[in-house]
Amino acid sequence: MTQPQTLTLNGRELAFAPGETVLEVAQRAGSFIPTLCHDPRLAPAGACRTCLVEIEGWRRMAPACATPATAGMAITSESGRIDRHRKSLMALYLADHPEGFVGSELGAPDQVYQLAERYAAPTDWPRMDNIRAGRPLDENPYILFDATKCIACARCTRYCDEVEAVTAITLAGRGSQTTIATVDNLSLLDTTCEMCGGCIDTCPTGAMAEKIPLLTAARPERELTKVRTTCNYCGVGCQMDLNIDPEGNGGRGKVVKITSPAPGTTTNDGNLCVKGRFAYDFIDHEDRLTTPLVRGADGQLQPASWSEALQRAAEGLLGVAERHGKDALGFISSSRCTVEENYLVQKMARAVFGTNHVHQCAAT
Amino acid sequence: MPSQEDRARVPEALEAAGGLRPGVARALARQTGVPEAEIYGVGSFFHLLSEPEVEVRVCQGLSCRLAGAEALLEAARESGLKAEGCQCLAACDQPPALLRRRRVLPALRLDEVRGAGADPGAIRAAAAPDDVWAGQVGPEADDPEHLAINLLGPLDWSGAAFARAASMGAAAVFDGLERSGLQGRGGAGFPAHIKWRGVASQAETERYVILNADEGEPGTFKDREVLLRRPDRVVEGLAIAAAAVGATQVYCYLRGEFEIPWQALEGAITRFDAEGRFPGIAFHLHAGQGAYICGEETALMEALEGGRGMPRLKPPFPTEKGLWGKPTLIHNVETIACLPGIVLRGGDWFRELGRTGAGTKLYCVSGHVARPGVYELPLGVTLDELVETAGGYTGRLQAFSPGGASSGFLPADKRDVPLDFKALAAEGSMLGSAGVVVLDESVDMAWAVAQQLRFFEAESCGQCAPCRIGTRFLRERLDAHRAAVAGAGRGEALAQVAEVAWQMNEGSICGLGQAAALPLTSALEHFPDAFA
Ligand SMILES: Cc1cc2nc3c(=O)[nH]c(=O)nc-3n(C[C@H](O)[C@H](O)[C@H](O)COP(=O)(O)O)c2cc1C
Ligand code: SF4
Ligand code: SF4
Ligand code: SF4
Ligand code: FES
Repeated sequence: MTQPQTLTLNGRELAFAPGETVLEVAQRAGSFIPTLCHDPRLAPAGACRTCLVEIEGWRRMAPACATPATAGMAITSESGRIDRHRKSLMALYLADHPEGFVGSELGAPDQVYQLAERYAAPTDWPRMDNIRAGRPLDENPYILFDATKCIACARCTRYCDEVEAVTAITLAGRGSQTTIATVDNLSLLDTTCEMCGGCIDTCPTGAMAEKIPLLTAARPERELTKVRTTCNYCGVGCQMDLNIDPEGNGGRGKVVKITSPAPGTTTNDGNLCVKGRFAYDFIDHEDRLTTPLVRGADGQLQPASWSEALQRAAEGLLGVAERHGKDALGFISSSRCTVEENYLVQKMARAVFGTNHVHQCAAT
Repeated sequence: MPSQEDRARVPEALEAAGGLRPGVARALARQTGVPEAEIYGVGSFFHLLSEPEVEVRVCQGLSCRLAGAEALLEAARESGLKAEGCQCLAACDQPPALLRRRRVLPALRLDEVRGAGADPGAIRAAAAPDDVWAGQVGPEADDPEHLAINLLGPLDWSGAAFARAASMGAAAVFDGLERSGLQGRGGAGFPAHIKWRGVASQAETERYVILNADEGEPGTFKDREVLLRRPDRVVEGLAIAAAAVGATQVYCYLRGEFEIPWQALEGAITRFDAEGRFPGIAFHLHAGQGAYICGEETALMEALEGGRGMPRLKPPFPTEKGLWGKPTLIHNVETIACLPGIVLRGGDWFRELGRTGAGTKLYCVSGHVARPGVYELPLGVTLDELVETAGGYTGRLQAFSPGGASSGFLPADKRDVPLDFKALAAEGSMLGSAGVVVLDESVDMAWAVAQQLRFFEAESCGQCAPCRIGTRFLRERLDAHRAAVAGAGRGEALAQVAEVAWQMNEGSICGLGQAAALPLTSALEHFPDAFA
């Protein structure tokens, strides 16, 4: 057995596993180190410089997110130098960022503002001319890129590359003009983009944002209620959070967007696909059936109660079996049903109606 | 999946396609398998690729501006050329310079541009293609006893130094290098032998040697002269390095504007190859595509691998994980060119050539001196001695930049400081690339600083916030200061400078951002009246 390796963080001795970064060790120990370009799903970039800490014997501060823990390392994450660093860094970010705290949360909370507040960064530095190019003509329905808020942390592009393996977006240009682009600045619809929305999810500033809540002037995210549920589009079982405006739909509540739980907390590790993340407008769609319908004598569909409707269905099915035999019946269930629901469908087919003709659309 | 080689050839494929025009990235993606967005991101990073419509670029570096580069750019535009300004072309001794495609046309006169009209090809059309660029060098003698590089010495294809190193064995070569005291000539002054031993001691046996010929620090043009005049020393030095650290592949990265130095280097490689001098060692030439930051060693490796030239985090250092993750020895052209002499004459000989540091050093001088050029002198001469070699001052000395834009400005009363690594660092400056720019009293220091800040803003890779935002912030603040009338908001315009400079130095990933505020902070310290 090798001895567990240890280091110290602000004087506290902590054990770590080989391969862990300084940030991971600190987070496990409950020590907060601010980050912007870090996402646990991605290889560290060390680019935003928010997480710099002091390491004994190192002349320069080091990015906690990208520095491997080593035995005996003595790390300081709170000091006068680090505080000065956080303040002036956040002040620079603010100078390059649109003004205003609240308006920025329509897309998602902006961590630049949050960290600037947390570290009491000066807010009175002159604002700079913004020269990052966006893609204002991109008419894709879901993803809006607001270049003014972009801090070029490359989380979106690294996510698209490393997690989605799609690489539809890239860092483009250089220097202060660095921005996020597609090939030839085409609409995302004309690229390999799969509209997974992961770039939105990982963006720390709301620069990569969801169009629908923005266009419908939804409330800031912090005023929304989150309800955890399971996506029912396929059998993977992704967890997702319905973001509900409690006053929407005349006080009944309205789902205004869907977000994924934090990476590392559920099976889908913060990821969703285009259906799970964006295809929720059916919830309030006017064509959606909200009560069973039964055809009347006149051939027209009429609203009915569940017991009425089930009664009619049972009569119809049994009638077919009686006239044409049990195997004249077939049951197809939806891939949007849960495993339990699918189980019940086959049980019903076999045990109640006595046929083995049962299928599920996801099987094809 | 695209291979390592597929990725590596993206920049040059973009060049061959005439730059990043619409449709090019998508077509190249089909050929190479590299994602189209990635190709677009690479093309958009490099100025020689991202603006395919530009026909000529006129250097707007400090030395060229002193010689009328702004009027030259204006004239080019008036002639109907699609002309843009660009950053230092490594022709500061022959200003103002213009770039046509990848060819630098130095010391261009206004009438040459006006006379050509809207046809870029007509500018200096009659010039001899190969030797239009070699400039003034000194001392004007072939003196192998006292000059480690000996720019005017005869070319030597014998391979004697390589043969000698081979018979000594690697351990003795390392010892000789240590005794020589050779410090890297690319800017950081790191002791060479430590890197050699570092690479040689890696368990990984696939190792590389890289020649850094991306010379782009404003005021610096010595590597150009070495490549033009002593390509034999460069190639033999590379072969010595490769054999000593156990590498068989040598990559030479030349800035894209070095079309003529490229020909010289390629010619030397062909000549040695024809004579079979360095068996088992292969040389590969790569062209930069217009990005000063690719002179930073890890950015250079990213660019060689076909990526956006953004510096990597260190550690790990290239000696351990360099090109394609393999142990890599990277050196500046001048460092490499010192090697044959050190091997043949011994480390002690080299060390004693210097005065306050080891060896001779190539100093570049431009600005207000009589004979701008490259002078090989003992390491540690003073400014006055250097300028005397260069024919003397042409005006009264006000300020000088001892080592390129990154070294900031020093006042005339520092003229006695030895131009070496230690003494200049003690002054808060640096020897850097020894690109000395001399400014006389006619120069408005705030104007001079503004040019240096423009340089860093244009050349920041944009990866890390302190540099990406800070370079622009400082430039905008200085512009505001210069635009304001004395008294009205001039002081406030610079209120955040000290804090931003601190942040850039502490927070930036690489040397560009760490040094980029120095022109302004050093000028504020030494020339407060210029900002009153
Ligand atoms: C912004 C920046 C630009 C640089 N440009 C060059 C360059 O053009 N040529 C060069 O040799 N070194 C350049 N360097 C230094 C290299 O990173 C590296 O230290 C050098 O190539 C090592 O070679 P040496 O040991 O022979 O000096 C640059 C460094 C920085 C931070
Ligand atoms: S939606 Fe998904 S595939 Fe499209 S750009 Fe964003 S991360 Fe890439
Ligand atoms: S869009 Fe968001 S995630 Fe992407 S680089 Fe900008 S700030 Fe970072
Ligand atoms: S300091 Fe500047 S050039 Fe260097 S990595 Fe950061 S942004 Fe790029
Ligand atoms: S979170 Fe570490 S540098 Fe960005």
